[in-house]
Amino acid sequence: MTHIALADEDFKDDHHPKTFYGKYVWSLDHKVIAVQYSCTALFVGLVALVLSVLMRLQLGFPDTLGFLSPGVYLQYVTMHGMIMVVYLLTALLLGGFGNYMIPLMLGTRDMVFPTLNMLSFWFYLVSVIVLLASFFVPGGPTGAGWTIYPPQAILEGTPGAGWGIYLMLISLGIFIIAFTMGGLNYITTILQARTHGMTLMRMPLTIWGIFIATILGLFAFPALLVSAIMMMLDATLGTSFFMPAIMSLGEPMDHEGGSPLLFQHLFWFFGHPEVYIVALPAFGMVSDVLSIHARKNIFGYRMMVWAIVIIGGLSFIVWAHHMYVSGMNPYFGFFFATSTLIIAVPTAIKVYNWVLTLWRGNIQLTVPMLFAIGFIFTFTHGGMSGLFLGNVIVDLPLSDTFFVVAHFHMVMGVSPILVLYASIYHWFPLISGKQLHTGMGKLHFWVTFIGAYSIFLPMHYIGIMGVPRRYYALGDASYLPQSVHTLNENITIAVIIVALAQLIFLFNVFWTLRYGPKSERNPWKATSLEWHTPNVPPGHGNWGDKLPVVHRWAYDYSVPGAKEDYIPQHLTDDEVEWDQRPEKREDSE
Amino acid sequence: MRWLDSITVKPWLPQPAGMAVETHHTPVPILALRVLMGIITVFFLLIMVTFIVRSQFDDFRALAGEPWQPFTDTGRLWINTFVLLLASIGMEVAVRQWQNGQTRLMLLMLSAGAFLAISFLVLQVAVWRYLLSLGYGLSENPANSYFYLFTGLHAIHLLGGLVALVRVFFRLYRGVSAERVFLAVKGCAIYWHYLFILWLVLFFFLTRTPETYAFIAAVCGLG
Repeated sequence: MTHIALADEDFKDDHHPKTFYGKYVWSLDHKVIAVQYSCTALFVGLVALVLSVLMRLQLGFPDTLGFLSPGVYLQYVTMHGMIMVVYLLTALLLGGFGNYMIPLMLGTRDMVFPTLNMLSFWFYLVSVIVLLASFFVPGGPTGAGWTIYPPQAILEGTPGAGWGIYLMLISLGIFIIAFTMGGLNYITTILQARTHGMTLMRMPLTIWGIFIATILGLFAFPALLVSAIMMMLDATLGTSFFMPAIMSLGEPMDHEGGSPLLFQHLFWFFGHPEVYIVALPAFGMVSDVLSIHARKNIFGYRMMVWAIVIIGGLSFIVWAHHMYVSGMNPYFGFFFATSTLIIAVPTAIKVYNWVLTLWRGNIQLTVPMLFAIGFIFTFTHGGMSGLFLGNVIVDLPLSDTFFVVAHFHMVMGVSPILVLYASIYHWFPLISGKQLHTGMGKLHFWVTFIGAYSIFLPMHYIGIMGVPRRYYALGDASYLPQSVHTLNENITIAVIIVALAQLIFLFNVFWTLRYGPKSERNPWKATSLEWHTPNVPPGHGNWGDKLPVVHRWAYDYSVPGAKEDYIPQHLTDDEVEWDQRPEKREDSE
Repeated sequence: MRWLDSITVKPWLPQPAGMAVETHHTPVPILALRVLMGIITVFFLLIMVTFIVRSQFDDFRALAGEPWQPFTDTGRLWINTFVLLLASIGMEVAVRQWQNGQTRLMLLMLSAGAFLAISFLVLQVAVWRYLLSLGYGLSENPANSYFYLFTGLHAIHLLGGLVALVRVFFRLYRGVSAERVFLAVKGCAIYWHYLFILWLVLFFFLTRTPETYAFIAAVCGLG
């Protein structure tokens, strides 16, 4: 059989929607599915945000909320963590932006398996519903922490043991199936469906980030699925994979000989790559935003690609640095500390390249750019405290304190969220045809950025002073001075302000959709393909009759001699307007 | 080293305009299937690692080694293996018949592949019942737990393959040309072979003696 590349196939419009439901509910179009994914993710994200405010109210002003018992507090901690990491960030970055950007940036009409793509969203929605349902079952959601370590996760006495933990495990299982369906689509689309001229090294970094993150997800989520299945069997059918011989409420249980450490290894074999599943798409998107708004090509494109690939590979051999306090062979700890610190090298390369992209660029301080630059600060900051915690001997005393909370919120909470905001402000004109209000956007940025610092910077200090994490209340711990309590109150006030600032963003979105003026076609003067569809927002099938052909990489900004300061990817040299045309392109070196 | 070449080009330098799209010749569904099989392999591999770790704990009683243990005699499992092998061969013959233009024979062979796969599942359930009748329940011992876990998960994956195969029949029944379903048939055949090999690995793995597990654990540094 002769091989016909997908880019050469005729446009078979065999899933053009005909009804309202076909277009907006049971849609096969990647753009609609992306918006469905994003809205669902943002909704659960808001739930998790409210939970964090309630937690902070308890920490800053103990015992003012009557319904917040210690058990409920732990349930909020758990649900906040799990929702933010898995159901918001993973889903929004890959399900939302991955779905929207892959076909548009690569010049294809849709994902290669549209039905599978639709199923992916519906499975995701079911997983979210199952997760939220656990708020309404007897005993409430699980309070075992987002790491759901056995044995305590399934023992009587832990909040939500029983239905809470069952629903959590089922929900995770469904989510993983949804992710696998989506991920197969992303990988095959990127590998097989690119348009003519879109070589791997001409892909925007956004796509590289999503591509490698998807591979990580596909091979890391099975570890979570394995641990979820085995723990479910332990909890329901009395097997002893993870459960040791144990007494519960004075009675010996049926379990014998299982290893909780085994669960921790499995969990973190998923859990650490998960950090990069969230970070790599963010790295990619922020690179594009920085380059576009600095009107300069990204510094060290190849280095950026290789760094993404290397970080992805290394992320599979560092997992045990989450388990230093669980106890391990010293050589084992030495290995994992070393591999952890090595990851700092490609990561630092990326940070330097972002800064060097800004260097002498024609920086436009637009709202997306502000968020992107904010990301460089928070990410560097969070990465630095990671260097502390990567060392066994520093991690041991800090591991159970707020220092860790500050670290991971800085590096994988605030940072990806800032990139997500940068991306939403940046691509909103493409998705909706309208541009978000700049004034409100800037207010949103400054309150969020300064607010995030006033939340998480003091947490480092109270962590070093020994304030333990996961505690409902500090009580009268005599080793903690009054200043710790004052700081806690200040952090809580900052949290309330930052949470309220997100309402500005929501208002901005709804206001713009309703009253905002129509935006220009390509308001940021970007080169990549997604801005050059025949219609903005792109119509069904994206490209009309003919797919675009790509003639250059995505970063031709401020090219010497060109009339405009950007050259779209699909223009040939002859189509570009030149002030002074460069010499004829003959040799390729 | 084509991939190495493709990630070392300097995209900012002038290049021949409008280069041909350089994608693989593998058809998209087959590529997706390969990735999926990679994921399933990782999935089973991870459980195997936990198995090896768990097998070194004191309470672990392997299912083979001593005369009274159920899989010292593996006759029943060999019968199941043979049935799954036949299913796999049936699928392969179906693909070749299609290539020879024998659509009817292909259908027959596909049906045989499906029937034998279902028979394998029934026989696996029979093994479960046999184990239960001997008192080897799911939670009596981790070795039993793992046996049920592995065979159960393998069965679920085979059921998934059967769903795909039923979809092929359904599409043929609705009059979709054999040409268009061919990739799906080929995909099913590849998946059947894969599940057969996976079963061989599991079979080998689950019926070893405690000494072998200790050896594997030592080699993996988990002893």
